[in-house]
Amino acid sequence: MLIKLAWRNLWRNKRRSTIVLLSVIVGVNAMLFMDGMTNGMLSQILFNQISLSTSHIQIHNKGFSDNKTVQGIIKDSEKVEKAISNNPDVTAYSRRVITFGLLSSASNSTGVYIYGVIPEEEEKVSRIKSSIIEGNYLSNAKNEIIIGKKLAEKLKVGLGDKVVALANTPDGTIGSEVFRVAGIFKTPSSEFDKAFIYIPLATSQSMLDLGESFHEFAIITKNYKQSNSVRDELTSKLDAGIEVLSYEDLLPFIIIQLDMYKESMFVVNFIISLALIFGIINSTLMSVFERIQEIGVLMSIGMRIWKIFGMVVLEALILGVFGTVIGVVSGYLINIPFSIYGIDLSFFAESLESFAMGSILYPQLSVENFIITLFMIPLISVIAALYPAYRAIKLEPVYAIRYV
Amino acid sequence: MELIKTENIIKTYQDNGVPVHAVNGISLEVNEGEHIVLAGPSGSGKTTLLNLLGALDKPTEGKIFFEGDDLSLKSKKELSDFRLHKLGFIFQAYNLIPVLTAMENIEFSMMLLGVPEAERHQRSESLLEELGIAELKNKRPNEMSGGQQQRVAVARAIINNPKLVLADEPTANLDSKTGGHLLDLMDKMNEEKNITFIFASHDQQVIERARRLVKIKDGLVDNE
Ligand SMILES: Nc1ncnc2c1ncn2[C@@H]1O[C@H](COP(=O)(O)OP(=O)(O)O)[C@@H](O)[C@H]1O
Ligand SMILES: [Mg+2]
Repeated sequence: MLIKLAWRNLWRNKRRSTIVLLSVIVGVNAMLFMDGMTNGMLSQILFNQISLSTSHIQIHNKGFSDNKTVQGIIKDSEKVEKAISNNPDVTAYSRRVITFGLLSSASNSTGVYIYGVIPEEEEKVSRIKSSIIEGNYLSNAKNEIIIGKKLAEKLKVGLGDKVVALANTPDGTIGSEVFRVAGIFKTPSSEFDKAFIYIPLATSQSMLDLGESFHEFAIITKNYKQSNSVRDELTSKLDAGIEVLSYEDLLPFIIIQLDMYKESMFVVNFIISLALIFGIINSTLMSVFERIQEIGVLMSIGMRIWKIFGMVVLEALILGVFGTVIGVVSGYLINIPFSIYGIDLSFFAESLESFAMGSILYPQLSVENFIITLFMIPLISVIAALYPAYRAIKLEPVYAIRYV
Repeated sequence: MELIKTENIIKTYQDNGVPVHAVNGISLEVNEGEHIVLAGPSGSGKTTLLNLLGALDKPTEGKIFFEGDDLSLKSKKELSDFRLHKLGFIFQAYNLIPVLTAMENIEFSMMLLGVPEAERHQRSESLLEELGIAELKNKRPNEMSGGQQQRVAVARAIINNPKLVLADEPTANLDSKTGGHLLDLMDKMNEEKNITFIFASHDQQVIERARRLVKIKDGLVDNE
């Protein structure tokens, strides 16, 4: 009956209740939308990084991650490979030669990261194959090279054109090789497209005088969330001279950014909540002041003040719950088309691309935020109703009854 | 049997710093089943006295005993329960909760007492029947006339079988015929259910029906 009373009281002033309801719905929608955007952006940045070259786990000779010298080859790589392929949570891995060198065309030259890979292995751990926009992916032919769009522009080369790669070998001499551009790729990261080139593993090994050796295992696990646990399993099986790093270890800057964005979302949510709180305080207070005489009657017939308090809080809670449920459902529905088709942010795509985010943002709602919103907004409504409810029970019955 | 006893109660209000003795030393004894009218001109202190008797307000001085219990010793919560169990109120107007129907208004007090729903329905229906206002059952206050609203207010006031009903100018907003019907109803409840009624009124019609008339003037009992 208290619920019935609270419910009907809400419909007394339809306009006011509707405004509060709408503001809750809009607030919830804004919260979810903002969260979807940030969450989508962050996971895009993170997953782009992972799929560009980071992968879930990298294994190197100790120290290679900090100081990528060509001497830092993995010792006893067969033992490492065995440990990797025996791990049930590993779905793919790619062996990589990695070094820094110079790439020259007839008209220009620039420093690049040279990746020597086995094409069939690499395509399973990175997005490089699917990023080819001109020509073909590597086919294992000895002198093929694929380079990024930006790099091709800088060197003024196209498909089939000749480029020369130079790099130090472990004993300090210069290794070099002539390549023909087999394919050009474009990834969401323009920085990546400017600086990374791929050549066949065997070619890189002969050019750099590495024999059968290489620098890195790039590993993909069943689920990126397993990265740390698989890392720990592998670490325990391998020698101390080997480093096993998860993407969290490898991308500390992005992980920090993730946390920062989450905190900034918290601030945004806080501001929206604050606005809602003041809206609800205001409308609930008005509804209490309109009912002073009636509250006096309730007191006179023996309604305990905590019940009167509860009635006022309940009214705000009902609005909060309804607004939240409608807001969450509509927020979810509104998000669907955006999450499928994305939001084209190409007007500031330049900066986003160097961020490795891509120019199309696909908002993603996090279950976590969904649940937080679902509980937080009703709670906020209750908090906002406390003061008006307090004012209601502080009324003196004699004064209230006379009040018309 | 003695229901209420007041010992020289005084209620002083501050009106812009000027003390107003709304009730200025009233000693009164009321027995169970009585039918009393507090009569007096406007501003004489009738409402103040009624509110003190109904524990809506506390006297500045003096004591009020209800069935021998000193009301001044009760907490707010106890006073609230005391009103719920023992009292019924009828004010001049706006007695009912606007968003509830007649029946729900009556059931509301029972709900506060924890009466189960089925019993609430049954009791409120039979009381509406008894008071001859069954047809108002599903009406909200704004769909009723003033007289109808007051009848429902009477029903609400007596539904929990109170010891005492306090009626402050119950007929003030009614024409004399409607007022008469309302008074008939209350007189009937007084006789049949032995509920004590205390009226505050300056309406001649109410005063004429008084079985005990207490004249109030300037916060004092004038003569009885
Ligand atoms: N809350 C209050 N503050 C100040 N004065 C009051 C208050 N309530 C009543 N009074 C004064 O007390 C006197 C008695 O009022 P009241 O009990 O309402 O009389 P009645 O009901 O007989 O008309 C009046 O002079 C009135 O102005
Ligand atoms: Mg009065």
